[in-house]
Amino acid sequence: MNLMTLQRYKNEIVLLLSLLFMIGAFFYKSSANGYVEKNRLAVASQIAEISTIQKYKKQWDGKGLGSKVKLLKTVVPESKVKKFLKKTKKLDASYENLDAKEVTILTNKLLNVPVQITKLDIIESSKNKFKVELKCKW
Amino acid sequence: MDSVTLKNSVDIILTPQFYTFLREDLDLKFSYQAKQIAPSLFDDYLDRGKEYQYYVYKCGNQWCFIAYNIEEIDSFLESKGIEKHRVSKIFFAQQLADELEDPIELSSNSVLHTIDGIVTIFPKSLMPSDIEYARANFNKSKLKGGVTMGASLNSFVSLKETIILSSLFFLLGSTFIFEGYRTKSSVESDNEKLIELLSENSNFSNSRVRASLLEQYKPIDTLERQKRDSIQVISKLLSAQSQLKSLTLKNNKIEATLSITDKMVTQQVKEHAEAKNFTVSSSGNGLNVEKKL
Repeated sequence: MNLMTLQRYKNEIVLLLSLLFMIGAFFYKSSANGYVEKNRLAVASQIAEISTIQKYKKQWDGKGLGSKVKLLKTVVPESKVKKFLKKTKKLDASYENLDAKEVTILTNKLLNVPVQITKLDIIESSKNKFKVELKCKW
Repeated sequence: MDSVTLKNSVDIILTPQFYTFLREDLDLKFSYQAKQIAPSLFDDYLDRGKEYQYYVYKCGNQWCFIAYNIEEIDSFLESKGIEKHRVSKIFFAQQLADELEDPIELSSNSVLHTIDGIVTIFPKSLMPSDIEYARANFNKSKLKGGVTMGASLNSFVSLKETIILSSLFFLLGSTFIFEGYRTKSSVESDNEKLIELLSENSNFSNSRVRASLLEQYKPIDTLERQKRDSIQVISKLLSAQSQLKSLTLKNNKIEATLSITDKMVTQQVKEHAEAKNFTVSSSGNGLNVEKKL
């Protein structure tokens, strides 16, 4: 194709180029829509997963729980703590002669500490006196 | 004129036999207006069987109109061995009217000369015998405008249609690109948030690691929440008439024995416990409630 032919059909060439530009732009827009639909779901799903894992880890990985678990010993009078063995992310504790109010305080405290409760035994040993056995890990 | 062989592009100056010239005193401002009326000005001068193109330019206070037939010019150039693509621009001798006040010799029997402002081919025999002819040496800066052969040959689409349609296509294309860009940008904020989260926890970029961590923590979270919710439910069953005798939470099972003296309270506690999916059974003076977690 020589220069002459190009000049003769320059109107058609300009039209064709602008048409190609429009078609190309249309495909770009379509691909952008497809990209967004595909990625939005994938990204949202990843963000949700990561946020959930972060939330779980923050709650259940047990970091800094040592001091919080110690509160389970001090929340009731020391004389009523029969056993309080805390070692390597595990707690084995038992209490006796707790009144109903102390049982409620101890239970509430336990429920608010993010530990995995493996055993909880509350038994009324005598009138309004309770014996509590507790095992948990984190 | 003899045939030539060209290696480079050339400009062509056409002598008057290839065009028809008119000069008019018209009250027009723009050349496109002059070009629009050009065909009507030549109505009586041109062969209606041929198709003509028009070149218009301002000459002093008047408008100069040139009508030419590009096919005719093309045929002539081809006959002289001048290929179309070698022709850069075509000018008309009339455009050099001032320079041709001094005649130039075209051949042994014709001269090119401006008479009354119009460039004309003149028989040499009519010229004075002692006249000295000028050399055809035109400064390119004198040659303004001109036409290209391509522009003169007819396209299938007119310039007006080309401008309208290509503007429309360009506008639509630009709109599509803008929309596409805006759509893509809309997920950028999500991507940035994800990148930020991943930069804080690079381990989470691996989907298997995420799945494994979720698998590890989700059961713990679900079970521990169930344990705590169940203990809360049992604590709500307690009152002055409903007292706790024992509560055992072990092996994903919670069980509590309640001592209740009032029958109405027993019924209320039973209904409440059952509503929270506890299994209720009677036990002496009270109720036994249990639930598998």
